[in-house]
Amino acid sequence: MSDQNTAPQNEANSPGVTRRCLLASILTTYTASLIPWALAQSVDDRDQGAFLAVSAIIAGRQTLDTHLAKRLYDALVADDKNFPAMAQQLLTLINTRKIDPLHLQRVLDTEKSPLAGVPRAIAAAWFLGIVGSGAKARCVAYEIALNAVIVSDVLKPPTYAYGVYGSWIAKPL
Amino acid sequence: MPDLVAADFVVIGSGIVGSTVARKFAQAGASVLILEAGPRVTRAEIVARFRNSPRRSDWMSPYPPAPWAPHPIYQPESNNYLVHAGPYPYEAEYIRQVGGTTWHWAAHAWRNVPNDFRIKSLYGVGVDWPFGYDDLEPYYQEAEELMGVSGAPNTGSPREKPFPMEPVAEPYAMRRIRERLVPAYEVVTNTTARNSRTYDGRPACCGNNSCQPICPIDAQYHGGLAAQAAETAGVKLVPNANVYRLDHDERGRVSAALYYDPDKVSHRVAGKVFVVAANGIESPRLLLLSASDKFPRGLANSSDMVGRNLMDHPSTSLTFDADEDLWLGRGPQSPSSIGIMRDGPFRAEHAPYRLDFTNISRVDGATNALIAQGVYGDEFARRLRYSAARELNVKNVLEVLPDPDHRITLSDQSDPMGIPKPETHYSIDDYTRKGHERSQQDFRRIAELMGGSNLRFSKEGVYANNQHICGTLSMGSDPSTSVCDQWARAHDHENLYLAGTGVLPTCGTCNSTENGLAVALRTAHHILAEHKVGRVPAPSGSG
Repeated sequence: MSDQNTAPQNEANSPGVTRRCLLASILTTYTASLIPWALAQSVDDRDQGAFLAVSAIIAGRQTLDTHLAKRLYDALVADDKNFPAMAQQLLTLINTRKIDPLHLQRVLDTEKSPLAGVPRAIAAAWFLGIVGSGAKARCVAYEIALNAVIVSDVLKPPTYAYGVYGSWIAKPL
Repeated sequence: MPDLVAADFVVIGSGIVGSTVARKFAQAGASVLILEAGPRVTRAEIVARFRNSPRRSDWMSPYPPAPWAPHPIYQPESNNYLVHAGPYPYEAEYIRQVGGTTWHWAAHAWRNVPNDFRIKSLYGVGVDWPFGYDDLEPYYQEAEELMGVSGAPNTGSPREKPFPMEPVAEPYAMRRIRERLVPAYEVVTNTTARNSRTYDGRPACCGNNSCQPICPIDAQYHGGLAAQAAETAGVKLVPNANVYRLDHDERGRVSAALYYDPDKVSHRVAGKVFVVAANGIESPRLLLLSASDKFPRGLANSSDMVGRNLMDHPSTSLTFDADEDLWLGRGPQSPSSIGIMRDGPFRAEHAPYRLDFTNISRVDGATNALIAQGVYGDEFARRLRYSAARELNVKNVLEVLPDPDHRITLSDQSDPMGIPKPETHYSIDDYTRKGHERSQQDFRRIAELMGGSNLRFSKEGVYANNQHICGTLSMGSDPSTSVCDQWARAHDHENLYLAGTGVLPTCGTCNSTENGLAVALRTAHHILAEHKVGRVPAPSGSG
């Protein structure tokens, strides 16, 4: 674990180099404290690692589906080839300034940061399963989008049967 | 151009109304052809489109328009098919595909209350219908038996026979609302074409909570089922047949329908009787498109009333947080209403309204709100669960009075087939606005009784549309102020009938489909009797 996210940006792209690394290697003490469950998570490269780390911070979940993470990451990169660099920069910013997730968006908006769209894009990807906006928006996940998972003890995603006829008359919890 | 096809009855539009009257004709032994502008689409395709949609709250997203028969869409950007002349935009949504717009309705299958038929006589506003509630009662029953309607008897609409089904089981949230609002308000179970038991081979509701835009199990009735039933009865249904003109003979009888296929090859269909049932916008559009030397204003339009008196149900709403966990999203989407403001002497002064509670899951909406606020980390889950459990919404469903200046005309813009687009002229008048203002005290009282906090009223001056397109083909006794007579026959053409919600002279406070269907069934029985086609059974609801 380093105090700064200062690893060379091109390391993961060098041919012949084993690129997998542990997420812990790109976190600081502060960010590691936000997502202690993820420290031993293995990622393909530092770009994906930054995405996964920021995802974990934004999502606030104890686990993230690694298969879905890959699909969301690929979709976000397909929309913006600079996304990996921006995710890296965002992680660096959180690492160095120890920004509370709850204040992250306000800080970026207030400072008119060029990174301000990154957390929202990541949040929409994980919470709604949707990547992109306007005519380019597309659904990557539905029933495993986190907003469905978070309420899954009470609700089913629309189009999924709640239960047998009348099962909804009972008090939910 | 040769007549390629001929039928006794030619029906334009395969929605719930067109398909049902076509089925009646076929069951009586007639040859019947339906021309449908849009394609065939299966329920499974629509469900898959919904689940894969990036705009799940946009109920049109599973229904992309066909290039050869567009319908209006507004997201992610407007396709500008419907031209809005204003002053208030009338953003109608409807679906041009086999089965029509009820693929994505809430299945509200209300009858009018009896006084809705006489608001001019009773309250001095609007117009009276050319017949009364009692005349329509057997056809309401027939419509309810065809669709499979469940409901409770305390909705202000008297009936000769019981509902086909018991009311759908009340969701917990609605029970709590009902319990906490009594005695100030009586909350009633909505009358819906939704199964509370297996009915006509379709299952009972399983609470999929996607009634709009698609019931994935056909527990609610829709036009796709009506079209299927029509074909089973022997109707020939031609999809992708975009009728762009009706021709007439020298006597003014309609002689043929001309349609474009997707390659814009024109086809001609001859018939003895024509029924235009292409919805409250496309039907008047077709009549206007059919102008000729003999009928320069279009068919059925010597009175210049085609397309006028456009009505719908505008809504304003209140969203708030209740003081207990209710968890909307369990069971069907739209289960309960308050009907105490549907009728009364106040109708002389302001619009009546029904108050409607949604049971649509709040999860996606709350998620979008939290993302917009930048709520991340642990707090997101806590806040999402709070909103999903506590948020309630109540809206009004306001009556609009007929006004000839509210209308559908032909635009000077053309659609991709080169056919003039429909254009809307619409506004919210003082009568409706005063109804909205009156409803605000109900909104506040309901929130108070539910221990509401964080009250969020819809933006003042903005009215959501409910897609209950009425009035544009109004029936009436006076040919100078209406398009068709009480049997929905065009005043100007002896073999042209109109069917659908467009013929309704007023819109009342309830969703228009059952009214449109019941009136169309009354028309169908009349046509069969008049044309002496086969055996003419009494409506199943009579006697």
